[in-house]
Order: sequence, then C-alpha cells, then structure tokens
Amino acid sequence: MGNQKASSALLAVLLTAAVSACGDVGQPVDLAKVESAQRPTPQNAGPPEPGNDEPDPKCGDPTASLRPSGTDTPAGSTMAKIKERGYLIAGIDQNTYLFGFRDPSTGRLGGFDIDIAKQIAQALLGDPEKVQFRALTSAQRIDALKEGDVDVVVRTMTMTCKRWQDINFSSEYYTAGQRVLVNESSRATGIQDLRGRKVCASKGSTSIDALAEVGAKPVGVDNWSDCLVMLQQGQVEAMSTDDTILAGMAAQDPNTKIVGPRFTTEPYGIGVPKANEDMVRYVNAVLDQIRNSGAWTRSYARWLGELGSPPSPPSPTYKD
Amino acid sequence: MIATGLVTLSLLTGIVGTIMAQEKRDTITNLTDYREPLSSAAQQIYRSLSDADATAATAFLNGGVEPGDLRARYELDIAQAGAALSKATSDKGIASEEDRIVKTLSTQLPVYTGLVETARANNRQGFPAGAAYLREASGLMREKILPAASRLYQIDSERLSEEQDDANSFPIVTTLLVVGLLVALIATQRYLTRKTNRVINKGLLVATIAVGVAFLWGATALTAQAILVDNGRDRGSRQVDVLIQARIAALEARADETMTLVARGEGGDYEKHFVQASRRLAGRDGNGGLLAEARELTAGWEHEQQVRAAGRQAKEWLSRHGEIQRLDQGGSYQDAQAMAIGDGARTAATAFTELDEGLVRAITSGREEFRAGTVNGGRALLLLAPGMTLLAVVAAAGIIIGIQDRLREYR
Repeated sequence: MGNQKASSALLAVLLTAAVSACGDVGQPVDLAKVESAQRPTPQNAGPPEPGNDEPDPKCGDPTASLRPSGTDTPAGSTMAKIKERGYLIAGIDQNTYLFGFRDPSTGRLGGFDIDIAKQIAQALLGDPEKVQFRALTSAQRIDALKEGDVDVVVRTMTMTCKRWQDINFSSEYYTAGQRVLVNESSRATGIQDLRGRKVCASKGSTSIDALAEVGAKPVGVDNWSDCLVMLQQGQVEAMSTDDTILAGMAAQDPNTKIVGPRFTTEPYGIGVPKANEDMVRYVNAVLDQIRNSGAWTRSYARWLGELGSPPSPPSPTYKD
Repeated sequence: MIATGLVTLSLLTGIVGTIMAQEKRDTITNLTDYREPLSSAAQQIYRSLSDADATAATAFLNGGVEPGDLRARYELDIAQAGAALSKATSDKGIASEEDRIVKTLSTQLPVYTGLVETARANNRQGFPAGAAYLREASGLMREKILPAASRLYQIDSERLSEEQDDANSFPIVTTLLVVGLLVALIATQRYLTRKTNRVINKGLLVATIAVGVAFLWGATALTAQAILVDNGRDRGSRQVDVLIQARIAALEARADETMTLVARGEGGDYEKHFVQASRRLAGRDGNGGLLAEARELTAGWEHEQQVRAAGRQAKEWLSRHGEIQRLDQGGSYQDAQAMAIGDGARTAATAFTELDEGLVRAITSGREEFRAGTVNGGRALLLLAPGMTLLAVVAAAGIIIGIQDRLREYR
C-alpha cells in the first residue's frame, strides 16, 4: 500500500515533468540587443570624389622658375610695397606637423615651411617675426594668390604645369615623394603590398589619385591628420602621401613606420601671384641664400631629422 | 419603473462624474509630476551634450593643459546628460522610435567621451592629431547624438502639449448625463404635480437641488481649471519651449565658434553652420529669430525683462563673433583665440555666458509659471470627485424617499 502510494506520487512527478518539458518555452528574452557597434569616423570620410581626368597641360619642366636678380628692392616694386606695409603676408598650414603647425601647448606656429617664410621676412624686412600668417586649406591656395590676399604661399605645394597657368612658383625648395605609413606590426613593405586594401588620403590631393592607380582602395578624408586617426583606430591599413607629411604623422605615433620607396616626385615651390614676377626673382635670390648659408640644412635637421640625415637641398633650375 | 430609472441614472451619473473628476486631477498631477519633468529631462540631455561639445572645444583651445573649471564643467555636463538619459528611458509609453533614440544616445555617448579623452591625450603632447580626434568627436556629436536628443525633446514636448489638451477637454458624457438627469427629474415632478395636484415632492426636490449643485460646481471647477492650465501653458510651457529652442541654437553656434578655431584655418563648414544657428537664434540683424518670438510671447509678463536682456547679450555676442572672424582671417590667430575664450569683459566667452545665464533664468521662471498654473488648476478640482459621489447618493436617496412617499399615499 505504502509502496503503491509512493509509486503513484512518483508517477505524478514524472507526468508533470514530462508535460512541462514538452511545451516550447522560447528563448530567454534579450532586452538590449546590439548587433554591432557603430564605429566613429572622421567627418566626411568616404570614398574619394571622382578625380580630375583632364590631362595636365604641358609646360616642359614644372620646376623651372625665373632667374634671381639680386636682393635689391627698387621703388615701385612688389617688395617695396611690402616694406612700406611693414610685414609680409604668408599663406601657410596650421595642421601639418613638422611643416606648418600650431603647437597646442605654446600656441606658436612652427615647421619647415614656417622657417622659410620667416627667412623671407628676415631678408626683406630685417626681422623674421614680421610675418602675418594666414591659414589656408589646400583648396584655398590658388585663389588666395589670384586675389592677391597673400604675398607668398609656403604650404607643401607641389609645382605642376596646371598651377603654373594661374600662379608663379619660386625655384624648388624641397623635394618630396609619396610613400606609405603603416602600423609597426604591418607586414607591408611598400605600396605594392596594399593592393585591394583600404588606404587613407586627403580628398582632392594628388596622392589619392596615385593610390587608385596602384590598385589600393582609397578612403578620402578632409584633413591629413584624420588619416592618422583612422589608422590608429584600425579603420584603414595604411595612409599614403608625401613623405614630408608622413614624417609628421610618424612623429606623433611611435607605433607607426614609413615604408617603401618614393613612388612619385613632388617638388615643392613657393607660390607667388602671377603678376609679381619681381617678387619671384627676389624670393629665388633669398632661397639661394638659404641653400648656401646652411640655413636650409639647419631647418631640415630641426624639423625633419626623423627622415634621416639632411640631404643636400634641391638645386634650382631656371627658364629665365 | 420611473423610480428605478431615475435612481439608476443618478447613480450612473455619479459614477461617471466621479471618474471624470478623478481622471482630470490625475492628468494634472501627471502633467506637473511626470510629463513636464520628462520633457525637461529631454531638454537637459540636449543642453548638457551641446554644452559638453562647446566646452571640450574651448578647453582644447586653451592648450596642452585645460583649465580646471572647464574640465569640471565638461565633466558635469556629461554626468548630467547621463543622469537625464537614465530618466528619459523610464517613459512608460515607450514607443519604438523613442526606444531607438535612447539606444543611440546611450551607445554613442561613451564613444564620444572616449574620443574626447584621446584628443586630450594627443593635445597634451602637442600633437595636431588631437584636433583631428576632437573634430571626429564633435562630428559624432553633431551628426548622431544631438539630432537624436533633439528628436527626443520634440517627442516629449508634443506629449506635454497633448496632455494639456487632454486636461482641458470638455467632459461630454458627464455633461449629457447630468443635463439628462436634471431634465428627467423636472419632468417627473411636473408629471406628479399634474397627477396629484400636490405642488412639491420633498424627496425629488432635494434630488433636483443636489443634481443642480453638482452641475454648477462641476462647470465652475472645470472652467477655472481650464483657465488656470491654459495660463500655465501660455505663460509657462509655450514660452519655455521657444526659450529652450533659442538656448539650443545659441549652444550650437557657440560650439561652431570654438570648433572654427580648433580646425585652424580649415573651419569653413563650422562658420557656415554658425551663421545658420545664429540666424535661428536672433535673425539676420540680431533682432529677429527665436529671441524675438520669445519677446512677443513674454510681452507683459514678469520675465519679459530677462528675455529682453538675453536679446541684448545675443547682439553683443554676435558682434564679438564678427571680431573673432576678422582677427582670425587677418592672421591674428592668438588674438582671435583670446577673444573667443578669454574671460575678460569684452570677450565672446563672457557675452555668451551672460546670454546663456539669461536664457536659463527665463526658462526657470517659465517653468515656475507652468507649475503654478497647472497646480492651481488641479486645486480647482479639489473634492470634486468625492463631491460628485456624495451628490449622486443624495440625489438617489431623494428620489427613493420621494417615490416612497408617493407610493405610501397611494396605498
């Protein structure tokens, strides 16, 4: 009897268990489901705008400038007007580390380009500080010269035949070339290893067009330092542009390295308004002094030591 | 037959009337204790976040080590936004859009603060990458976080407005029942008078008076309540809405002003947006926009002076901004920066702070007006619900007694 009771109780338990096990109980409820995190990107980052397919006009050697004619400043010349004003107006960059940038801790401008602008002021006005700096974007450089808003533009500006049509260039004061910046751990040894990979460059630059040509997947941003941000955040494999700019990026992050040979040549010149040929000749005379006096090498060592020991400055070519 | 009908009708009227009166009071309590605070919390999220954006940029401009008070202000902003966000999530009637918005806010806010800290770390070392990180953070704030916060505020303030309409809606069922009951009672008495030649039936007379009192009381109380709640809206929540929008426009413009300098010559987009936001705030000439709208709404009220003062400060600030632009474009970056963030008497920072404080004072007194109107509106309904029940019971008792008298006579 006791046994029977026990077995019927057991049966009841088993039945209940069976019934509760039978029905579909569904999945545990997840109140806050997130499929994936949305990564932040620099504003306006994205695929590059379609490049300019117009072939560059021919002008022979784009590095050939006007022959210098001494450092005299005759009355009525552009230089005399600047002297009268009392200061030089130079278009520069405030965002490119080592070339033209504002040190956040001191608020002062510094860099290789800034040094060159100061040297011109020193020659013309006797005081390297007599410069009014105007921050320009890459896109604003030509217009600022055309409007006559600035006397010179010293801003990592590549001399091209197309630009020669709108402005004058001084003789070449620096030779840059496009290279690649990757993370220290990357196995890429040059641009050839980055085919099909995401590589960052600034929109509208010559660098981004070159990337598409070698088969990398270009990602365009507004500003060069946005590329460093994307590289640090792991959103691109590499960034690629002039080695001058890359040196500035590498200096901000010891976990990156510049790899591969230069695969383009970018001669930098100082932009001068088209009409002011006297100023071009004057600036070229100053550049000669800078090259010969060792000022060029000092400036290089101070800002660009990262790239190795200073090479000899580019020798000027003239078309008369 | 008639008696049963009348008793049922009066009890029904009592129940419906009581429920109506109770619901009105609940709605009003809900307005002051829940709906308005919620809309204010949504506003708080937006405000704290855009202030954080502007403050982070200002602190950044100060160089490697940011001043302690700006750091503290940024931290307070983030804490306030977080606290307000946790309240905004507790909305009972959570709709899918709100759910999505709150999710966006709570997933992106930590990302934003992370980017700001990275920007700081880079800035301390003198690296321009700091500015790039800050631009990325600010972009995230402007493109994702602030639009979501603004939508949340919009939803909440629409709800507030709907609930104010609700509180002032005309109680049609109750009115029909009361009037119907009154008519039925009078008709019954006239019928009895004709049939019995007796002028007065005491029970029915008491019932009629009770229903009449209920009608008058209800009508007076509801009218008073509607007027008071409307006052709370006109002097309070409607102005607050405009003032809040003005404050938001001012904060956006301030963030643009500082970001233009952070971008160091590449801030053309920020300046364009500044022009848009400042026009929204004060119109093309500094006399229009949301501030003018707020002036019109507050004309004749107590805080008119505060709004007028805010308008003067906005004008002052916009002229300072013009100077910043001239200095920056003229190459005097450091002077422009001093004008933008310095704490002297004639800087944009000072003018903006005064404008913001003026708006806050006006918003606070608007909120007080809202509360005063709405709470007093609720007080007008004091005891109305139990009163309705009591009067209905009295009416029903009167009817029963009246009819019983009549029946006794009949026997």
